[in-house]
Amino acid sequence: MIGAILRRLLQIVPVLLLASAGIWAMIYAVPGSPVGAIVGENATAEQVRAAIVRLGLDQPVAAQYWAWLGRALHGDLGLSIQSREPVLALVTGRLPATLQLGVAATLVGLVLGVPVALASAAWPGSWLDRVLSGWSALALGVPTFWLGLLLILLFTVQLHWLPSVAAYVPVWEQPVAALRNLLLPALTLGLYVSGVFARFLRASLLGEMGRDYIRTARAKGLRERDVIGRQAMRNALLPFVTVVGLMTATFVGGSVVTETVFTYPGLGRLLLQAIGVRDYPLIQGCLLVILVIFVLTNLAVDVLYLAIDPRTGARQ
Amino acid sequence: MQVSALRLLGRPGAILAAAFLVLLALVALAAGLLAPSGPLEQDLSATLEPLSAAHPFGTDEFGRDILVRVIYGARSSLLTAAGAVLIAAAVGVPIGLVAGFFGGWRDAMLMRAVDVLLSLPAILLAMALIAVLGRSQAAALLAVGITGIPSFARVTRAQTLSLRTRDFVMAVEAFGGSATHAMVRAILPNAWSPILVQIVVLSSIAILLEAALAFLGVGIPPPAPSWGEMLRTGKTYLYEAPTYAVLPGAVLTLTILALDTLGRALATALDDRSAPLPEIERRAA
Repeated sequence: MIGAILRRLLQIVPVLLLASAGIWAMIYAVPGSPVGAIVGENATAEQVRAAIVRLGLDQPVAAQYWAWLGRALHGDLGLSIQSREPVLALVTGRLPATLQLGVAATLVGLVLGVPVALASAAWPGSWLDRVLSGWSALALGVPTFWLGLLLILLFTVQLHWLPSVAAYVPVWEQPVAALRNLLLPALTLGLYVSGVFARFLRASLLGEMGRDYIRTARAKGLRERDVIGRQAMRNALLPFVTVVGLMTATFVGGSVVTETVFTYPGLGRLLLQAIGVRDYPLIQGCLLVILVIFVLTNLAVDVLYLAIDPRTGARQ
Repeated sequence: MQVSALRLLGRPGAILAAAFLVLLALVALAAGLLAPSGPLEQDLSATLEPLSAAHPFGTDEFGRDILVRVIYGARSSLLTAAGAVLIAAAVGVPIGLVAGFFGGWRDAMLMRAVDVLLSLPAILLAMALIAVLGRSQAAALLAVGITGIPSFARVTRAQTLSLRTRDFVMAVEAFGGSATHAMVRAILPNAWSPILVQIVVLSSIAILLEAALAFLGVGIPPPAPSWGEMLRTGKTYLYEAPTYAVLPGAVLTLTILALDTLGRALATALDDRSAPLPEIERRAA
């Protein structure tokens, strides 16, 4: 198993290096000069010269990348062109809001998705299964930006119950206000992900239902509820946990659409705003942080899977 | 082939979905004939009009007919998705073939390259590409296409791996056929069914991604009609004209649901077990 984990680690090193090189090379691919992309097109000649020396832009390209990566690893992601603030502070400042929405959406997804999967798997092929599967397909297919607007129309425009603009309120400081702000975006994102969860868990449960141990459990006279809820669930849970982990990782920066619907101050919207004003150091910083979190979470999920189920190590 | 077509016909949902998509494609093709006005034709005396016989979907902030723009939007949406899926397949399928056929260092290198494309959520990868390419219809098409490459590469590689050691492939090589010949003539024709499923599934994801990019303001630039852009602008008029955002969004949603339904029916009809664990959804959320 340790060998399998080491192999995965060795696999992600080139991926991280290549992806970060791509992010770094952005400033060479955009129109204009690379130094202009970093200090802004309105910088003075003096600022430009200072940046060339500071960032080593007169060095060979490979040396420039290593220097950039080295600074990034020490937490120096440069300054935002727009606000002249350190990029790292701007990016980490958005993390709590992003995590709060991501966790809330995952919880909503689990609460709505798991019962649907259990009921579907209990009576496969029945009318209930068909209705629930149709519901999951709907939850998964409806674009979040349309669903979000419908929710705003209902709860804000018609009923005046909830705000259409969701501010970030830390849940442990003001739970009620946090809930009011979080409800609509978390519901929007949670409904979508509940479709993903329900479909995946149903498929894994049905995969388990045909196994011998299930037949044994039934033959022993266990109640059907326990056969599914305890016996099958225990084995179906393993791949399901990885899916839940991967979806939560996707929400780090990846819920930019829902954030935009509700003007929520998350990491994805910071990136979007940075693209809007061509603030390349900020764009690079956002992408780099999201990249590292996304890849490491994927790795953690893989390692967890290996740790619980040693068979996967042998199979690879 | 005939058997699977018949099995597909036995599913009313799939028939309905296919009929909707054919209708949408026809409407998009005949946009110029059907639409009473052009998609950019303004009438500043009739802005944000409610639904009426003259304007079944109402008018937008420039007095442009929203239904006309939805029809022209269908054209750009379907064309972008088709182009993007074509790019994804044209790059992804050869990658999967070569990686699965040769294995070894070629496999390792190609699959690590694919992993790089998967190292960011699809929407962020597309946004990063657009940040470099600048905002244009071509950039949107290319960005959406590139995010689709990994799906084709992985599915084709899995198929190639399972077909690689089959007799008819070995025979091609035993009789002195080249590797290219074995891949293109022996493996590819037998790997088409999961690839076909991917084409349908990815079309749905591509339409959603293109609309999401436009909704974020980084997709196809205005004034060209696009469903995502209409949702973006409609959002600012939720109080004055709620149908402005709702109706184009409904057409977008129906299109995505139709493609999803068709994709699922196709996977069942072709008995596609290429993905033992369903691939993680890479949808824009």
